[in-house]
Amino acid sequence: MKNFQIRSKIVNGVAVLYLKGHLDAHQVARFEKELIRLIKENNFNILVNGQDLNYITSAGMGIIMGYIDEVREKGGDIKLCSLSERVYETFDLVGFTEIYDFIENEQVAIEKFSHIPAKA
Amino acid sequence: MKNSAIFPQKPDFSITILSQTQLLKMVVELTRHITTLFNFSAAEAQKISLAIDEAVTNVIKHSYGNETDQHITIEYFLATWGIKIRIFYRGLPPDISDEEINVSKMIKKKRKGGLGVKLMKTIMDSVTYENVDGENCCEMIKWQKTI
Repeated sequence: MKNFQIRSKIVNGVAVLYLKGHLDAHQVARFEKELIRLIKENNFNILVNGQDLNYITSAGMGIIMGYIDEVREKGGDIKLCSLSERVYETFDLVGFTEIYDFIENEQVAIEKFSHIPAKA
Repeated sequence: MKNSAIFPQKPDFSITILSQTQLLKMVVELTRHITTLFNFSAAEAQKISLAIDEAVTNVIKHSYGNETDQHITIEYFLATWGIKIRIFYRGLPPDISDEEINVSKMIKKKRKGGLGVKLMKTIMDSVTYENVDGENCCEMIKWQKTI
């Protein structure tokens, strides 16, 4: 079984990225590639669903940090949902929880995007 | 009390790995296993493992410039009071700044790196860098909470 898996789908105009497994510096290029693809396709409402994510390092958090300003400049946002307590704590250790929107579940997160146009 | 009086002179366990990111998960699992054996809680073990992951990742990316044939030695010193982990490597010395990391500023600059050292310093009780016999050494200490 792969250590890290990523897939995405559009739900009500929101690009949802599903992360699964162990996201470290070895795997991070796949996360970045998929995020870039979504942005290039003018998806600026992006939700990272970490329900099945059990580990993340600064490499993965850095990708979100590196692209969020571009996405927000275009009227969108990158939000995160459904994180385990342990993964949430890792985000909290670097202060992300004060800057990013962390939401309990996907449905509520998608509703939060509803006032933002889905595409440019 | 000096660290040298608390921790054994020789490491209880050491491992030398190649500078390859595919080996990071193994280092994380090993560190988690060792710290759990030495009575750190599962949550603490997870955090210590993350700090080691960040330190080794920095060595691979920055000191060795992603060269995959270099060596990194990780030594574990265990004591009742806590754990000391020393990471030895060659290559470029670390570029360490005491400047407080500001995530908001990093977002504006569209930076993707720089969070690893913040994580290390937040998780561990002590993070120091020195040169030992021509090798770079990153030393990290985590004390047991009961101390």
